[in-house]
Amino acid sequence: MLSLQHISKHYQVGGNKNFVINDISLDVDEGEFVSIMGPSGSGKSTLLNIIGMLDEPTDGYHYFVNEAVHQLKERQRSALYKQYIGFVFQAYHLIDELTVYENIETPLIYQDVKGSERKAMVADMLDRFQIVGKKDLFPAQLSGGQQQLVGIARALIAKPKLLLADEPTGNLNSKQGEEIMELFRKLNKEDGVTIIQVTHSEKNAEYGTRIINLLDGRVESSKKF
Amino acid sequence: MIKNYFKTAWRNLWKNKVSSTINIVGLAIGMAACIVILLFVSYERSFDNFHGENIVRLNEVQKFPGMAASQKVGLSMFPMAPALKSEYPEVKSYTRVKWDRKYQMTYGEKKVFLSQVFAVDSAFLKIFKFNVIKGDAQSAIEKPNSIAITQETAEKLFGNEDPIGKVINHYGGDTVQFTVTAIMANSPKNSQLQFDALYSLPGIHQKWMDNWGGNWLNTYLKLAPGTDLKAFEAKMPAFLKKHLKPEQTAFYQLFYLPLKDVHANSTEIGLDYLNYQKFDQKSTNLFAIIAFIVLIIACVNFMNLSTARSADRAKEVGIRKSIGANRPQLAFQFLGETVLLSLLALILALVLVTVALPYVNNLSLRDISLPVFTKPLFLVVIVLSTILVGFISGIYPALFLSSFQPVKVLKGSVETGKNKGTLRNILVVGQFTSAVFLMIATVFVVEQLNFMQKKDPGFTREQVVTVPMDRISGKKYELFKQRLLGNTLIAGVTASQDQLGSHLDQSGATFQYKNDPKRELGVTQLIVDNDYLRLYNIKIIEGKDFSKDKSGNGREYIINESMAHELLRDHPKAGISTLIGQHFGFDSLGVITGIAKNFNFNSLHYKVENLLIANQSDWGLTIASIKIKPGQSQEALDFIKATWKSLNPDYPFEYQFLDDHFAEVYRTDNQVSKIVGILAGLAILISCLGLFGLASFSAEKRVKEIGVRKVLGASVQNIVLLLSGHFIKLVLISNLIAWPLAWYAMDLWLQDFAFHINITWGTFVFVALISVIIALATISFQSIKAAIANPVKSLRSE
Repeated sequence: MLSLQHISKHYQVGGNKNFVINDISLDVDEGEFVSIMGPSGSGKSTLLNIIGMLDEPTDGYHYFVNEAVHQLKERQRSALYKQYIGFVFQAYHLIDELTVYENIETPLIYQDVKGSERKAMVADMLDRFQIVGKKDLFPAQLSGGQQQLVGIARALIAKPKLLLADEPTGNLNSKQGEEIMELFRKLNKEDGVTIIQVTHSEKNAEYGTRIINLLDGRVESSKKF
Repeated sequence: MIKNYFKTAWRNLWKNKVSSTINIVGLAIGMAACIVILLFVSYERSFDNFHGENIVRLNEVQKFPGMAASQKVGLSMFPMAPALKSEYPEVKSYTRVKWDRKYQMTYGEKKVFLSQVFAVDSAFLKIFKFNVIKGDAQSAIEKPNSIAITQETAEKLFGNEDPIGKVINHYGGDTVQFTVTAIMANSPKNSQLQFDALYSLPGIHQKWMDNWGGNWLNTYLKLAPGTDLKAFEAKMPAFLKKHLKPEQTAFYQLFYLPLKDVHANSTEIGLDYLNYQKFDQKSTNLFAIIAFIVLIIACVNFMNLSTARSADRAKEVGIRKSIGANRPQLAFQFLGETVLLSLLALILALVLVTVALPYVNNLSLRDISLPVFTKPLFLVVIVLSTILVGFISGIYPALFLSSFQPVKVLKGSVETGKNKGTLRNILVVGQFTSAVFLMIATVFVVEQLNFMQKKDPGFTREQVVTVPMDRISGKKYELFKQRLLGNTLIAGVTASQDQLGSHLDQSGATFQYKNDPKRELGVTQLIVDNDYLRLYNIKIIEGKDFSKDKSGNGREYIINESMAHELLRDHPKAGISTLIGQHFGFDSLGVITGIAKNFNFNSLHYKVENLLIANQSDWGLTIASIKIKPGQSQEALDFIKATWKSLNPDYPFEYQFLDDHFAEVYRTDNQVSKIVGILAGLAILISCLGLFGLASFSAEKRVKEIGVRKVLGASVQNIVLLLSGHFIKLVLISNLIAWPLAWYAMDLWLQDFAFHINITWGTFVFVALISVIIALATISFQSIKAAIANPVKSLRSE
């Protein structure tokens, strides 16, 4: 599904190139649940952003669902992204001015889904995450765990093939974190959603089917379960 | 999608109440100013636009021998129009208009004075589209002794009776009978031609029909479509040569003005009697330009506040991009917000316009209305323009905000709000430059107007009441004067043919100094009775005033200094006293008896030109000037009125204080200055609104910095200076840019006045000071609030 070949990203600092990602090659198959680990500054988030097309590598080849992403134009990339990828953030990143319902609905709007269809899909999602009662609340009125649930619901509403999560439990307490991880496992097993998550926590990483350890922009180790 | 955007937009507006209010109020004020000016401009453009195309007025350029400069006049001669029609195929039809003011009209016992009656040719109603309500108006202006009256006149004369077929009489020396054949609608207020009745010109004024030389009426022609005015004008010298006496041809040139230009582009034309509310389109254009600048200043607020607030929106942009929004969609969203905001501003603007219109009408003496419901086109135009304004104000913030990289803004690594400081500074400087420019202009305009009010014109204007007289009442002037002088309330009485301050025209005179060849020269003639100079305190610098009792053989002339120097042009060494006792060529009996100090007999727009004052009451006096003792004006007026009534029981008593007359002379100047002043005030207000918004934003952004500085020992003054210094610097830079522009513009404007103030640096410094004080007052609220806040609070939250 996803193939990175010799991907690098560096910043020019004075005369030196400062590599954030240094020649990483990585293949992810459909149905995998990959956890990326590593200390701060090892390039985890950058790698995730590159996979999610939110960031661009300076070098290397990037293939996604048989498209050469590194050759696509901004508009085509955006279309590809819209169709296949959902993103979950550590800081939830909900739109403060929109209600729970509207936040979940927004991605569908950008995909030109019809109004009636949107209604059904959002209702379905609210049901599934058991947040129907909260649909008219604003993000500020929710707890962190609830906000992240909404964030995940929003990421899943457009039925992505690939779910990217950047420390999804980083701002949550351990019980809330566990619930989110259970949800991810279920999504992966039952719905066949491919998941790539970045995490600091060994425990959360083990929910995955593969753990990749990064250090200084390189893959230090990779093990499959 | 739209709904989602709308919600976000609405909730954002609500969340940032201060900046939303500033944006909406500022924009609404700017739009209201623009709409009012737009209405004014379209009212001005509407003058006589209902008559159709190809209508021109015939005008003359007169240059009588020796006149310093030629004068343009709106008058023409009786036989010109018929001759033009018969000799030139370009002329399709013509109408002359000969007017009478205060036209006495009686019906049975009822007697009224119509303010203006037109004698016209039969094509008048074909050329001008004035509405006929009832009856046969065409026959009224074709047949002698029939008349068409307006609705207002009909009500005055007949009340509820049907006027058609009734006979009314006019008495003006001898009685003329008219049969009313039609009722016309009152002249629309946006027409230069205002009349109360129409009758046939050839029918009444037959004896003048072949008089080449007398310029007593206006001529209007309907030309064939596509006529080249310049080419047609080029044929006029031959036309004059054919008809005028050879010695006259050099005195005249003819030119044409399209009807629209008669209203809007004829300031330099004198003796322009049929030109109701003539208004220079240069002023109209000036208003339009300034109003547009005010609107732009309001739009700039918008851009500034939105980009400054971009930090608040950056996160939203990042999120929306990360869940699939592309740049055009985001730009569209932000543009939608600004358009929504402008539409809200439009609603407020329309309210403001409705409130302001009565004042505008009062100031401009016009009848402007807001045609929101009556003219759908107007509504469409302003709604579309509003959307355009929203689009223009929003385009930069939209492009700026939608360009954010999601990864960067979500990590908080984009320096939003701050890195665009340069552009914001430039925009603020632009705003304040315009505002300061307008302020300086206002100060100079007001100073010039004060100067004109205060400057000693060389005669006394106070406590003088003027009473107009016509041919009949004028005959009783001597008696009127004697009776008035019998009362101690009256300090003096005199009379003249023209009123000081009304633009007096020039005519020709011949003069021969000793044995020199005869000279022809242009001169303004003022016909007065012998008390005139005494009553007006006009100084005699050589010779003596008019004698009290006229000695048998002679007429006396008093000339002004300018004239004296002109007459002695070829004898610079001769003293002006050598002119005393000299004759004029046209008068072998009368002599120059005195030389008066120059005084401003015209408005201060004009230089003091040659003036010849003659005490010839038998040449016709039309205005009595009565000087009353101070303190008892009402009693004096009552007495004058009673005296008038006892002498002229049939004639209405009218009067005007000379001061009021001069207020009228300078009315256009006053209107222009008030409108410019109001617009300048609005410009300042809107700029300050923007500054207030930016100051509150910057105080908010620097709350932590301020906390740290205070912990380190900064005083409140230090902080206020820190926060205000930047903005004050911008205002000072704006002043420096505005100064040369304002200097140039005001220098140009003052050229229009022969007597004007000088541009001094004091005004510039004064305006700079004021602008800094206003700006300080605006931002100090925010700065002081930030400076006195407890630093513990601002630091704890981090």
